[in-house]
Amino acid sequence: MSNYFEDLAHSVIAGQQDRVKQLTQQALDAGTDPVEIINQGLISGMNVVGARFKVGQMFVPEVLMSARAMNGGMELVKPLLVGQELPSAGKVVLGTVKGDLHDIGKNLVGMMLESAGFTVVNLGVDAGPQKFLQAIKEHKPGVIGMSALLTTTMLSMKDTIEVLKEEGLRNKVKVIVGGAPISQDFADEIGADGFAPDAASATDLCKKLLA
Amino acid sequence: MTKSQYVRANYQVNATPQFHVLSEHQCENIYYGALEALERTGAEVHSRTALEIFRQGGCRVDGNRVRFPTRLVERAVSSTPSRVVISDRHGHRSMFLEGSNVYYGPGPTNTYTLDPFTGERRRPKKSDTVRAGIVCDALPNIAYAMDNGTPMDVTPTLADVHAFQALLENTVKPIIHWGFGIEQYQDIVEMAAAVAGGLAELQRNPFIVLYSESSPPLRHSEEAIDKAIFAAKTDIPVIYTPCTFAGGVAPATMAGSLVISVADFLVGLVAGQLVREGASFIMGGLISTMDMSSSILSYGATELSLLSAGLTDVARHMKIPMFSTGGCSDSKVIDVQTGIEAAFSILIAGLSGASIVHDCNYMEYGATGSLELMVMDDEIIGMVKRILEGIEVDDEHLAVDVIDAVGPGGHFLGEMHTMAHFRDFWAPTLINRLRYDGWKAEGSKTMGQRIREKTQNIINTHKPEKLPDEVLRQIQTVVDRAEAREAAKKISK
Repeated sequence: MSNYFEDLAHSVIAGQQDRVKQLTQQALDAGTDPVEIINQGLISGMNVVGARFKVGQMFVPEVLMSARAMNGGMELVKPLLVGQELPSAGKVVLGTVKGDLHDIGKNLVGMMLESAGFTVVNLGVDAGPQKFLQAIKEHKPGVIGMSALLTTTMLSMKDTIEVLKEEGLRNKVKVIVGGAPISQDFADEIGADGFAPDAASATDLCKKLLA
Repeated sequence: MTKSQYVRANYQVNATPQFHVLSEHQCENIYYGALEALERTGAEVHSRTALEIFRQGGCRVDGNRVRFPTRLVERAVSSTPSRVVISDRHGHRSMFLEGSNVYYGPGPTNTYTLDPFTGERRRPKKSDTVRAGIVCDALPNIAYAMDNGTPMDVTPTLADVHAFQALLENTVKPIIHWGFGIEQYQDIVEMAAAVAGGLAELQRNPFIVLYSESSPPLRHSEEAIDKAIFAAKTDIPVIYTPCTFAGGVAPATMAGSLVISVADFLVGLVAGQLVREGASFIMGGLISTMDMSSSILSYGATELSLLSAGLTDVARHMKIPMFSTGGCSDSKVIDVQTGIEAAFSILIAGLSGASIVHDCNYMEYGATGSLELMVMDDEIIGMVKRILEGIEVDDEHLAVDVIDAVGPGGHFLGEMHTMAHFRDFWAPTLINRLRYDGWKAEGSKTMGQRIREKTQNIINTHKPEKLPDEVLRQIQTVVDRAEAREAAKKISK
């Protein structure tokens, strides 16, 4: 069985979604524990990807392909986890703030988080305080992440934090911010819990905040 | 700079060396690729005004998606002027954006500024925009002014208006300026009109160019496209510039990125030409690669130069002036990397014959603006301009008579011919060519130290021409009114 896991991990690293699906199905057919498939095959492959990316041996598009391959396997395993808790590093709600349509950076963060085992709820672009508020009530995330590219729209991050305070939800969720004009100083100023300069460190930040 | 003499009838003279990275056929294929993308995929447009203009103009509008029939785009391209002339603050026509004339200058809206006195990287203030105006005004090879960073110590939604005031009052050079939205653009045009002596004067000899960025691939925010429409309606030249990075918001291939860039420019152009046939548009602009490790949009990538030169070729094919990029760097401080990246991109942009080359102040993948980099770039631009002047070949310059007069084994130092021509050599102001002892006697300074000293010296001593008091009052009135408007909005919220 350990060969299955090794093959599976390798296929995740190589970004071969079809192969990952095939191996996952074979493992399931052979009666392997779904949680084992996730932890020892899919996630263990993705951990290697994360480590290689950090040292510059793998690149963003490759990480994306690996994440897709992993998710292909996940889709097959998930329905069999009835009654069992899906292993998740935590839940993160992400959105580009009100008035802003720039979302490539935020989507990159989402992809990195998913590949690190987080469950991501992506609110898309132009997400105002109410949209975040609603998402917090509905999904009960551990972290919300706000993204902005413009110096005008980044001010809306503060509005969202204020609304969370008014609703008494501020202490129930960690708030992280990012985007080209955002700095640690700005994050401190508006009372956010964290700032990350890029997608990879956003993942580390979420891990740290939820630890 | 002096006019390019690339083509002269009957006698082909390469008076201005040039290079092309794309052939006519390749340009045509990229243009066709853009036309196909616009007709087949179309673009997402987030402005009701623009959607209505597109609908009435004959585009296929489905919700926010607009598809553009080729004939419509071609009509827009053919009604766009092939040349735009920009004046200085006095209304003297100074930038002839035509053919392969090249004009260099800085870029806008950096998040940070490198303080030329403390070396600190910090948020820009309005006083930094004043400095930017002064430095642009002083440097001979910088053709126009741009803000070098969004001032953060003013009302945030009026940072554009305040930055414009700071530039307007501190340089006579043309100003290329951005704005958050239409209201701010109205303020900016009104301030410029006060200087020009009325809107009609400003339209006749515009000394400002408006600037609007779309969000590729094929997505146009309300502000972006409405600003292009506003500029066309107001009859002020505009740069419509998608910020395209290969592998991120465009295909990872160079040609595919060019297709996205051209297509996204054309969306703005069609809107503008539908509003006013013959409105002056300049094609942007920023095109480079996404670094696949750090995910930055690289300002030092060699592909930035290659892609910008390619886009310039396509612009020339379309007979539309080009807003290109150069003199920028991914480095965080003025160092060897900055020198390599800046020199490389300035040279390639010059050889490509782009009309305007902006971002001669961009450090740290565009996040930081640096006046020191602009001062260094001024020197590099001087060198590149000398190269672009080429080699003159006629009897006077062949100098066969002088060679004969001096004869074998002689020297040319004492010749009148030498006196007449040696000043054509490019003379450095920052590059050091002293003999060792001379350099040591002057303090053994590095290039970085000399750049910093020159920058500080300009800021401390250069006095730009002042505007008349009455005009200054009018400008202040516009700023005050804008402040009152924003304050009222805040209250009504």
